[in-house]
Amino acid sequence: MKDIFYYFERDMLRWVRGRVSVISALVMPAAWLIFVGLALPTTFTENYIDFITPGILVLTMLGASLQGGSLLIFDKILGFLNKFLALPSSRESILFGKILFITARGLLQATVILLLALVLGASFLSPWSLVLTYAILALFGVLLSAFSTTIALYLSDHDAYAAFNAMVSMPLFFTSSALMPYSVMPAWLSALAYWNPVSYAIDAIRALQEGVLAWSRIGALLFLATVVVGISVRQFRKVTL
Amino acid sequence: MIPIETHGLTKYYGSLCAVDHIDLEVGNEIFGLLGPNGSGKTTTVLMLTTLLRPTEGSALVCGHDVGREAQEVRRLISYVPQDMAVDIKLTGRENVALFAKLYGISRRDETIDRVLGMMDLSERADDLVRTYSGGMRRRLELAQALVHEPKVLFLDEPTIGLDVAARKKIWEHIGTLKSRGMTIFVTTHYMDEADHSCDRVAILDHGRVAAVDSPSHLKGLLGKDLISARISGEYCRDLPEGVTMMGGKENGEVVFSSEHASERVPELFRRLEEQGAVVHSLSVREPTLDDVFLALVGSREDGSAFDDHKFRTMLRRRG
Ligand SMILES: Nc1ncnc2c1ncn2[C@@H]1O[C@H](COP(=O)(O)OP(=O)(O)O)[C@@H](O)[C@H]1O
Ligand SMILES: [Mg+2]
Repeated sequence: MKDIFYYFERDMLRWVRGRVSVISALVMPAAWLIFVGLALPTTFTENYIDFITPGILVLTMLGASLQGGSLLIFDKILGFLNKFLALPSSRESILFGKILFITARGLLQATVILLLALVLGASFLSPWSLVLTYAILALFGVLLSAFSTTIALYLSDHDAYAAFNAMVSMPLFFTSSALMPYSVMPAWLSALAYWNPVSYAIDAIRALQEGVLAWSRIGALLFLATVVVGISVRQFRKVTL
Repeated sequence: MIPIETHGLTKYYGSLCAVDHIDLEVGNEIFGLLGPNGSGKTTTVLMLTTLLRPTEGSALVCGHDVGREAQEVRRLISYVPQDMAVDIKLTGRENVALFAKLYGISRRDETIDRVLGMMDLSERADDLVRTYSGGMRRRLELAQALVHEPKVLFLDEPTIGLDVAARKKIWEHIGTLKSRGMTIFVTTHYMDEADHSCDRVAILDHGRVAAVDSPSHLKGLLGKDLISARISGEYCRDLPEGVTMMGGKENGEVVFSSEHASERVPELFRRLEEQGAVVHSLSVREPTLDDVFLALVGSREDGSAFDDHKFRTMLRRRG
């Protein structure tokens, strides 16, 4: 168990010491919120900031998690993974260390967005819904960072990983409920969006604005996360090069 | 307890046979696995360190099977891979601390100080590794590998990419570790380094073990002296009786073997010139491990197949 924290600590130290990457990680999501939240014309809602913030939060976790997979790619290319795999420490702690770091970093970015959204006039946050928002974002982060880290285990280089990232992140984002409500989507898109895991998280956070706990969406997210983490642990335990 | 033994250890990558039925028994010594790039050294080490599953055969480390008892094996060994993998944004001490924590070392700080001291890194321990030289980074990796006092240490090309002084230092440290009772399994393609530092070596060619013995014994098989030449033009059709051409090296040197080598030099010179070759130099020197490799495997650059017939006939003549 402690090993998870040691791996987390290593990634965190490395990240914090690369100051530029810290600044960019915190500025980028803010830029998204400002440009998407303020620049897009809105016809379907009064308070677009309230509407768009959950989408941007989940988008940020999505981007952070998928980008996080490249951490393992680098560990692999540079030979760190070989050294870690030859240790008697359990191999899934490598995976959980990555999940912990990637999710924590994503939540930090999400915090920047939440603060900025408040400044820009978002009005949806009661204390308990804030806690639940973080919980949903964390669950979503665990799901996607487990997925991306395990995919990274099987890709041989950074280009392959970048291609995977592009292939997955764009469609997931644009077929989600991030940018518009189901009511204004064409029928084919709303069907697609409904089954998209990105929408599970967005819908669950939006429901919180109405004071509703969307159990079916949270349940779906929880189920998917359990399955993906389970598969990932198995892959990490048995991996050979 | 035998530190390492392999029985018909084999690895196929698809149809490519990277390691071909290797049988080795390594005692408490510095054991060198030698061979050019692509000969299967890394693949062998990966199997012995439980990171790669053998296609066929088996390997035991301190009596534990690398497949079935991988966890036991990992507790007893340390592995330093070929690529220099240290975190440059962390200090030397932090790099070692990570491994001390992951190995669950008790009295951690003491241990970290001790291994850093052993590798002469105490003074720079709190500097970022970014500022370390290649040799220091390699020593830092050795320090990481020593935190749990492994029984067997696997080093894959520990001196690759280092300057001469740094290489010498690494080998000195390896010698010290051996004197403290550790078994060291080291791969390299620098024959001269293995020659000076290994107790025994295995010469690997296209995944097969071409010879296993102490460097001095292997060199002894080539006789007391060899003739080393620099020649241009046509030659070697008609050599003096008892003189055999062993082959050419990448640096342009051509090596001949013969008994009483120095007495054969004038005749060899005459023959070569008669055939129209231009002889720039001819000298007699003691065999090196590189010559053993040349005799066993043929020219390193052409990568020609293992020609043991040539070697056998040469050895037979030596009786
Ligand atoms: N993952 C791999 N997939 C396919 N072929 C490989 C792989 N790793 C190594 N090889 C091949 O196996 C052979 C032995 O490689 P390796 O063990 O790395 O040699 P060395 O360490 O002696 O340079 C080479 O021909 C190499 O191309
Ligand atoms: Mg190699």
